[in-house]
Amino acid sequence: MADRGAVTAVVARLAAEDLAEEDLARVVCEACVAGLDVDGAAISVLPTEPSRRTLWATDETALALEDLQFTLNEGVCLEAATSGVPVAVPDLTEAARLARWPVFGVEVSARTPARALYALPLQWGAVTIGVLDLYRLRAGDFTTAQWRDLLGVAQTTSMLLLSRRTRPRPPGPADDVAGAVGNGRGHPGNGVDGLSDGVFGNPEIHQAVGMVLAQLGIGPEEALTRMRARAFIEQRMLIDVAHDVVARRVVFTEEIG
Amino acid sequence: MPMQSEPQDPAETAAVEPTREQRIARAFVELADTLVDDYDMIDLLDRLVAHSVDLLAADAAAIMLADADGGLRTVAASSEDAQLMELLQLQSGEGPCMESVRTSAPVVVTDLTTTDRWPRFVAAAATRGAFRSVHALPLRLRGEAIGAMNLLHRVPGPLPADDLALGQALADVATVGILAERAIRRGEIVAEQLQTALNSRVVIEQAKGVLSQVGGLAMDQAFERLRRYSRGRNLRLVEVARDLVNQRLDAAAVLAEYSGARHR
Repeated sequence: MADRGAVTAVVARLAAEDLAEEDLARVVCEACVAGLDVDGAAISVLPTEPSRRTLWATDETALALEDLQFTLNEGVCLEAATSGVPVAVPDLTEAARLARWPVFGVEVSARTPARALYALPLQWGAVTIGVLDLYRLRAGDFTTAQWRDLLGVAQTTSMLLLSRRTRPRPPGPADDVAGAVGNGRGHPGNGVDGLSDGVFGNPEIHQAVGMVLAQLGIGPEEALTRMRARAFIEQRMLIDVAHDVVARRVVFTEEIG
Repeated sequence: MPMQSEPQDPAETAAVEPTREQRIARAFVELADTLVDDYDMIDLLDRLVAHSVDLLAADAAAIMLADADGGLRTVAASSEDAQLMELLQLQSGEGPCMESVRTSAPVVVTDLTTTDRWPRFVAAAATRGAFRSVHALPLRLRGEAIGAMNLLHRVPGPLPADDLALGQALADVATVGILAERAIRRGEIVAEQLQTALNSRVVIEQAKGVLSQVGGLAMDQAFERLRRYSRGRNLRLVEVARDLVNQRLDAAAVLAEYSGARHR
């Protein structure tokens, strides 16, 4: 059993801060470039939907790779998003690897200096929140330890983004003043009410999300948002609300959900 | 009237209770079969806990694996009680399963009420746990453990040495399968596959919630319905779970599966 990787540790520390999505993406991408031997990184959210958005790209090449894939509607990023598993192309000159994306394969070599591509899905259960894309100027794969670190980065980033997307207050530009609630891990209104922490490994939270989504006919992300809103209003922990849902002491309805 | 006329499920009447040897053989064959082609780690480990419970007269079993973040997470559990036992260890930051992963060796606790080890976990288990004895077996290859399986019994006492060896052999088959598959597909460790499995676990727990809500079932029953539907159709647990959560599959259809005869 290995320890948490160095870059994962950097990203995990962001749980104590209250960054906007874009700032969070910037720190994650920069940490990957600094610590994982890649030349550039980008994070896009909802890559398979029309509302997709690149939160951050560390340079022109990283941005061009995102734009190219979204324009062509194919490539490593989209494959990672739809398959839910990491995609690696350690050497872009190996034609066989690129057969899956015929147009993208040609265009990426013609238009960018990238020689190796990696895409890691940022996901929570069945929900694909986004994709972390990385490139190198020369061919080559990650070491085992680097892969492990990278997977840890993806997992941690997923939880941080999920936490922001389901936070119990209206979204908007005022988001970034929320640091006022401090780093209180136990504060239900904080963006880190255990979501990115051990509490999230509690199956009762996932079971409750399933019950609430069935009660309201909504998606899992919205169900989690409702549960967190309720915890916030009642000044309780998310896990306590989840416990009540599973014990059938609480039912969400359209009015009060 | 010598015979009763009520029609019976042929599978029920024809089945002669298989001997333990036959069940053991079947367990190994089934685990090996699961490893062929494009297997799913969650399905493999779910079958591993089920066979272990059956063959080792355990009341429950659960499996923890190390994730990419350096922590342990529960990936399979035969019951909610077993899942809670794992959670209590994770929350206490100590316990036999974690010790087994750390040392890559079996850890036997014949009676949780008399052991002087892991005070936080033992205290938590005393108030919320349902089990008295724990046998933790490492999932290991060449000295490194990727996780461990807990065999849980409601009564205190050691497992016979033969049973412990059988449990380890079942765990070894699964581990070798997991690691060998990775070695072939890419010169990589299991981290990526573990990450996928842990994410699958989220979907499966959510799907249990959906079935529990729609069917008015306890979580254990909801999971049993999910298993039954998936196995009956030769689908992966996580595929069915994802369709339920995304509302592409009607929960009522999965629940209706139960009214038919027991499969197999």
